[in-house]
Amino acid sequence: MSHLQSIMVQKSDDDKMHQLSSNLIMAVSGEAGDTTQFAEYIAKNIQLYKMRNGYELTPSAAVHFTRHTLATHLRSREPYFVNLLMGGFDPDSNTSELYYMDYLAASVPVKYYAFGYGGMFTLAVMDKDYRPNMNVDEAYELLKKCANEIKRRFIINLPKFRVRVISKDGIKELPYVVAEGEAA
Amino acid sequence: MPDFSEIFSLQSILNYNGGCVVAMRGKNCVAIACDLRFGVQAQTISTDFERVFEVGPHLYIGLPGLATDTQTVFQRLQFRIKMYEMREGRRVKPRTLMAMVQNLLYERRFGPYFVEPVIAGLHPTTKEPYICALDLIGCECEPEDFVVSGTCSESLYGMCETTWREDMEPDDLFECISQSLVNAFDRDALSGWGAVVHVIEQDKVTTRYLKCRQD
Amino acid sequence: MALEALHGITRYHSKNEMLRDEMMIPDMENLSNQCQLAIPSIPKGEVNVGEYLVDETGRKIKLNYAHGTTTLGFKFDGGVIMAVDSRATSGQYIGSGNVKKIIEINPYLLGTMAGGAADCTYWERVLAKQCRIYELRNRERISVAAASKLLANMVYQYKGYGLSMGVMIAGWDKKGPGLYYVDNDGNRMPGNAFSVGSGSIYAYGVLDSGYSKDLSDAEAQELGRRAIYHATHRDAYSGGIVRVYHIKEDGWIKISEEDCKDLHYKYADEKSAFS
Repeated sequence: MSHLQSIMVQKSDDDKMHQLSSNLIMAVSGEAGDTTQFAEYIAKNIQLYKMRNGYELTPSAAVHFTRHTLATHLRSREPYFVNLLMGGFDPDSNTSELYYMDYLAASVPVKYYAFGYGGMFTLAVMDKDYRPNMNVDEAYELLKKCANEIKRRFIINLPKFRVRVISKDGIKELPYVVAEGEAA
Repeated sequence: MPDFSEIFSLQSILNYNGGCVVAMRGKNCVAIACDLRFGVQAQTISTDFERVFEVGPHLYIGLPGLATDTQTVFQRLQFRIKMYEMREGRRVKPRTLMAMVQNLLYERRFGPYFVEPVIAGLHPTTKEPYICALDLIGCECEPEDFVVSGTCSESLYGMCETTWREDMEPDDLFECISQSLVNAFDRDALSGWGAVVHVIEQDKVTTRYLKCRQD
Repeated sequence: MALEALHGITRYHSKNEMLRDEMMIPDMENLSNQCQLAIPSIPKGEVNVGEYLVDETGRKIKLNYAHGTTTLGFKFDGGVIMAVDSRATSGQYIGSGNVKKIIEINPYLLGTMAGGAADCTYWERVLAKQCRIYELRNRERISVAAASKLLANMVYQYKGYGLSMGVMIAGWDKKGPGLYYVDNDGNRMPGNAFSVGSGSIYAYGVLDSGYSKDLSDAEAQELGRRAIYHATHRDAYSGGIVRVYHIKEDGWIKISEEDCKDLHYKYADEKSAFS
């Protein structure tokens, strides 16, 4: 949730997630400006699709559209520098989906992922403790563990993390994960 | 912004995500295999990233290189193949596919897609085995024995040169290509983490996933 | 002495002189004093071994050392655990899959290897000699603090010349379990838990979430093993065999050497059985 500018924390309640449809969220990181511009462009086009056609894109279709947009811009004069995670629930197939996409527009389905140096500290934590059949409470506990590890080892202060759950009932906001414990 | 000066040499772009593909000719059959790693430099992100795709009856293409271009080239190629099939009313033949890939890649002669494709298949009527490798702007290479591509191509050449024999039956071909691939990528930090092998015969295609090291 | 002269044997004044004569080399350099390395004739800041190598087209070849590694060590009530992988890479090529990255300095001291393999093996071998000399002179074992200080002082002499090492020195002395981190910049620090190498960022994730002072021996050994395993899975430049050592009051013991492949499928089975 921290927005960093040079050596300062500019904003401590920044929302890096963008809602694309009733059951689809995109979390972005990367170059300031590119991130919001790109995310809003994608969000508005996905909403436009719904207005034109009367139904929403499935998560995987939305990912393909996003990848296509990002890949087209990559070979233009001004590529977007945006890394993103897209999480959604497909009501037709009744499955939850999560996709990784980097600024080169390589996209793969993942069980869990975290971008950046801070994220690298959490990957092994999730590798060890993630299970596909976790309930929301267990998943929330795992996120706490990740936040604690970032606080412990990462040189940059990232104290608070916004948490949203996407399920068949839509998108629900959970309390912030606040890192506990001491820095190493 | 990422440091473009560091990643902008051709080799490092082709090695950015890691991955390799190998194809071999047998007796009335061909085999094509790839690893399953998708990573960003040292970090392994996914271990179920298939870079060999079915594009026709008894026809497969492998696209090792930069993962984003693996996906883009496959999607654009699939579009062209489907247009071809609708216009012509017949499925695409191996050499036709090769020409299409050449055409697609050479379109970007001055800003290439960073993939080095490998094609393997059987001719739909003559059942003649076909293997082929291309460089990233579409120069083809059609040898009689095997083709390799990707981050551990040097090791793959070594393995294939020693294990490949003429006129192998499908089972022997599977063993040969699997051993070559697995032992080659076990010497490469950027590929591995699982493998998939397709053995293409006249009447069937057998796809097998290999149990591999995960480090 | 007269007998020697009668037989035509030359009397040497020092051992050095004798060796020099035998080997026909102008001076001894590090054969007599291991801390005396040949110093390059170019200014200190410009030293880069890679600069000397050129490929067939005249381009400079970057010299790749064994940089990719995961090593870790931590103290707990039952002693010190050290765990390492065994992969050596030069560039993306895996040169070896069963390197010994834990160096057995003596029965009470262990050192790990990360960075330049040659740098680590050389300086830890010199350290082993220094520790033995200390023992003979003082009739007691060297402390972990002193041993690590010897190493830090030796490599600090060559700061700026391009040494590459990040090592942990661990052992058991009068003060109990000891663990120090030493690197080529001149850093030397004691600590409860360290991880060094390209996979350390992943190893820390597992280590921190499972670490406490009062782990049982088996739990601690398993924690070290798991941390290295998870690092080998995510980090392309770590892998091979996971070696675990445990240092107790009466010296170190080798706990296990397990292939990452076996560990992966064992842990995967455990996870699927649990969920």
